[in-house]
Amino acid sequence: MTGAPLLTIRDLTVSVGGKQILDGLTLAVATGEVHAIMGPNGSGKSTLAHVLAGRPGYQVTAGSILYQGQDLLALAPEERARRGLFLGFQYPVEIPGVNNVYLLKAALNAQRRQRGLPEVDAFEFLTLVREKMQLMQMEDSFLSRGVNEGFSGGEKKRNEILQMLVLEPTLAVLDETDSGLDIDALKVVAAGVKSLRAPARSCLLVTHYQRLLEYVVPDFVHVLVRGRIARSGDRSLALELERRGYDWVSGAAA
Amino acid sequence: MSAPLTARIAAEHASTLAALPPQLAGGVRRRAAMAALAADGLPGARDENWKYANLRTLERQSFTPAPLDPRAAGAAAPAALPPRLAGFARYVFIDGNFAPALSDALDAGPARVLPLAVFESESAPPPAHPARDQRFALLNAAFATDGAAITVAAAGAARIELLFVASAAAHSGASYPRVELRLGPHARLTLIERHLSAGDCASFVASAVAAELDRAAALEHYRLQELDDRAVLFDSLSATLGADARYALRAIGSGALAARSTVEVRLAGERAELTLAAASLGDRQQVQDTYALVEHLAPDTRTEETFRGIAAGRSRVAFNGRILVARAARGADSRQSLRGLLAGAQAEIDVRPQLEIYTDEVSASHGATAGKLDDQMLFYLLSRGLDRETAQRALKWAFLGDVVARIEPPPLRQQIETRLAAQMLGGTTFRELL
Repeated sequence: MTGAPLLTIRDLTVSVGGKQILDGLTLAVATGEVHAIMGPNGSGKSTLAHVLAGRPGYQVTAGSILYQGQDLLALAPEERARRGLFLGFQYPVEIPGVNNVYLLKAALNAQRRQRGLPEVDAFEFLTLVREKMQLMQMEDSFLSRGVNEGFSGGEKKRNEILQMLVLEPTLAVLDETDSGLDIDALKVVAAGVKSLRAPARSCLLVTHYQRLLEYVVPDFVHVLVRGRIARSGDRSLALELERRGYDWVSGAAA
Repeated sequence: MSAPLTARIAAEHASTLAALPPQLAGGVRRRAAMAALAADGLPGARDENWKYANLRTLERQSFTPAPLDPRAAGAAAPAALPPRLAGFARYVFIDGNFAPALSDALDAGPARVLPLAVFESESAPPPAHPARDQRFALLNAAFATDGAAITVAAAGAARIELLFVASAAAHSGASYPRVELRLGPHARLTLIERHLSAGDCASFVASAVAAELDRAAALEHYRLQELDDRAVLFDSLSATLGADARYALRAIGSGALAARSTVEVRLAGERAELTLAAASLGDRQQVQDTYALVEHLAPDTRTEETFRGIAAGRSRVAFNGRILVARAARGADSRQSLRGLLAGAQAEIDVRPQLEIYTDEVSASHGATAGKLDDQMLFYLLSRGLDRETAQRALKWAFLGDVVARIEPPPLRQQIETRLAAQMLGGTTFRELL
């Protein structure tokens, strides 16, 4: 299962608005692996996801992140995306007036330019998008709508996964993609994530609950407490957490 | 306004009138307007409603109208005209003067279109403009010798495009486009009013539109301001709506060095309705200033006002939206959404909603925001690999969508989108944004 190192985070310390959130986090993800990052509210899970994507306002005060052997922190958010890093947002923003099909195409073409490929053929593009939409159980009318405009919570999450499926990232970071979903929507989202699983791709699933992990079985589970990884294990760790609650690891890390 | 300026306008007015053919109609109007203007004066920078308008240009301006002969002035014009829009009769005015050679026949259909000079020779002069902030309309009325008088008979329907081409440089004369609209009961008119320049020229344009909508008349009015970026424009629009009349006003201003638009709409009849959607784009040193006063004077009248302004470069963009609900306007409904986008570190934007209500039974909502592009939206697009410039352009385009989407005739919308895209997006593959 284990391939070449894709993402290496060392002693990462991050502050937001002067408050330290991550405190010496270390994590290695190899190509082809699926890692789940779990932890109580406020443990730094979402901060980790956003730092990886390059969101402004997060100060890295110590540590390093190597992605594909490169210093990830030296890259602008758009450069990270073009090199195959994808962030699935917990709260995707609505952008009325910019339509979904434009965004998908512009995003795909930005990546293709990075790889020295020509722009995607219009027909092939629509065929690809329609196929992925079917998997995500999205209606055709979605294409002409504004990005996430008037979408329900579940539709927004499905849209994140749709974008991921079209962009085929090398590293997908999904920030609580399962939160706020009913069981049917969760199954659709999980099917989307599963369909992307491949030896050349890695995935970081940030989640509060273990129920997504019933559908997408991770290779590793890490528990984040107060900005660092308190415990790592395999899938059984998630089940144990579910049974014993976060107090169990919080206490252990104290 | 300074007294010397008033005196100079009066002097130029006297010599202008002396040079006009004695048989030319409209003399009563011109003299009455000059008298009113001499009494009121043009606004000055200290007038609260005029603080964004660039009034300094007036001091160096010659007010004498550009030559009457459209052939001399408009030789270069046809190439500058936008493509014809199917279904619209077109009438072209060069420096305010009717150019029959570039226009459709003045036929007697449901809409009667007449050059103003002809119209005025046949009918009594219109009542003087109500004072308020229509002082540039007075300037227009004092000097205009031509224009369009459009009358749509009861239950008639028409589609008309008026092109006002500014071809004279300011030193060779001012331009006074003038439109008088009368819609009979249940009449319908789609009107495109477009101001553009022939070639590069620093024209001075003072235009005025007066509209009267009778019972249940419907006017769909597109105002496009695409003047050369050295031109100066003062435009005045005054409209009165009867019962059940509907006025859809869509204004897009992207040209001129300094443009001031003064809009006054009176909802005088029960259930009269105004939907105003305006977009202003400023760049470089441009000033785009709009003042809109809507008066609810009768019960159950409605207003929906939308403004989107983008100020880039060192430009100034302002929208002052004043809505007044009179005592008699029980059950009035007024909604305002004014938004400004600051797209340049040295640009300035000012959106100001003003609501004055003199009755209890009214439903009113207003929102006004001015700021930069939304950081969260920008980061979302960047996180998908779009470069910063493309992401910003997409968001600016989206910002204008609330106004552009309300342009109904598809070929007109396409023309406007093409122009806006060239101006804002550097002509990139914007089609995909639509």
